[in-house]
Amino acid sequence: MTSSGSLDFTLTRGLADTGSTPREESALLQSRALDRFLAGVERRAYRIAQMALRHPDDALDVVQDAMLRLARSYGQRPSEEWQPLFYRILYNGIRDAQRRRTVRSRIFALWPGSSRDEDEAAGDPYEHVADGGPDPSDRLMATEAMAKLATALGQLPARQQQAFALRCLEGLDVAATAVAMGCSAGSVKTHYFRALQFLREQLGEVW
Amino acid sequence: MTNETERTGHTERRAREVFDASVAGLDADTRSRLNQARQAATAELDRARLPPWRTWAPAGALAAAALVAVLLWRALGTGAEPEQQAQAVANPADPAEILATGDDLDLVTEDLDFYEWVALETTEPGNGVG
Repeated sequence: MTSSGSLDFTLTRGLADTGSTPREESALLQSRALDRFLAGVERRAYRIAQMALRHPDDALDVVQDAMLRLARSYGQRPSEEWQPLFYRILYNGIRDAQRRRTVRSRIFALWPGSSRDEDEAAGDPYEHVADGGPDPSDRLMATEAMAKLATALGQLPARQQQAFALRCLEGLDVAATAVAMGCSAGSVKTHYFRALQFLREQLGEVW
Repeated sequence: MTNETERTGHTERRAREVFDASVAGLDADTRSRLNQARQAATAELDRARLPPWRTWAPAGALAAAALVAVLLWRALGTGAEPEQQAQAVANPADPAEILATGDDLDLVTEDLDFYEWVALETTEPGNGVG
């Protein structure tokens, strides 16, 4: 936070030296703030979308769309509001993608010779996961653990999945999670508690 | 109860660790595509900040250019008309054209008097012309 503040200060001084108007300075600062925010959330958002959609390209499309929508509709808003708004847009995108997929699979189910399961068609969603670890066995364990978590999360109702992902994985507080989910703080607590109970039972001690 | 809380805490911590590890291990291709998406979003913010007239400026410029082109075309079209009129005056042989213009008809009437006088002068004896 301190380095960010000093960067803004340096930038402001630099702009003042070049004779930019205050409006241009403000625009550039806002643009840089958005870039920093998106850089901080893009990978985590992608993983969340991938867990929900189980398809890398669909997840990337949803994240890209969420970024564009945030910039277009809420880019001028204070940066403190971006995080819950971004995740709200992201989950709306995930829900739309899931609906489109359901409709598509129903249509293709009527098509002769297209009885292949969609999950099977999509392949292993964690095929490309985590190749940065130094030890192959560690990487394998991390991949397996992630696959277990994704499978368990996939069994939860959508609202419980959201509550868990936002509260636990993304670290949002109850109020921000409520804004992102479009519900009350009490509902967030309930969904989160139930999700946690279920995951604890599913994943058990060995996980 | 404490044991229950510990187990819940363990699940939370472990989920966070596993998730963070998977985020850190994201492949280079996906990271690059996310970076491109971010650049596009930042550019979108810059576009959204432009005043509305800047959005419509290209269309307005195109409309103005079309208007100027139409005006020029019309101006050049009326410029060609006097030339055609001059050509018509230079070749007054067509009787229909002579009849169509009142001035020319008066001229023909005046000439008719002259021709009648010339005819009388030539038919009477002792009034030979030339």
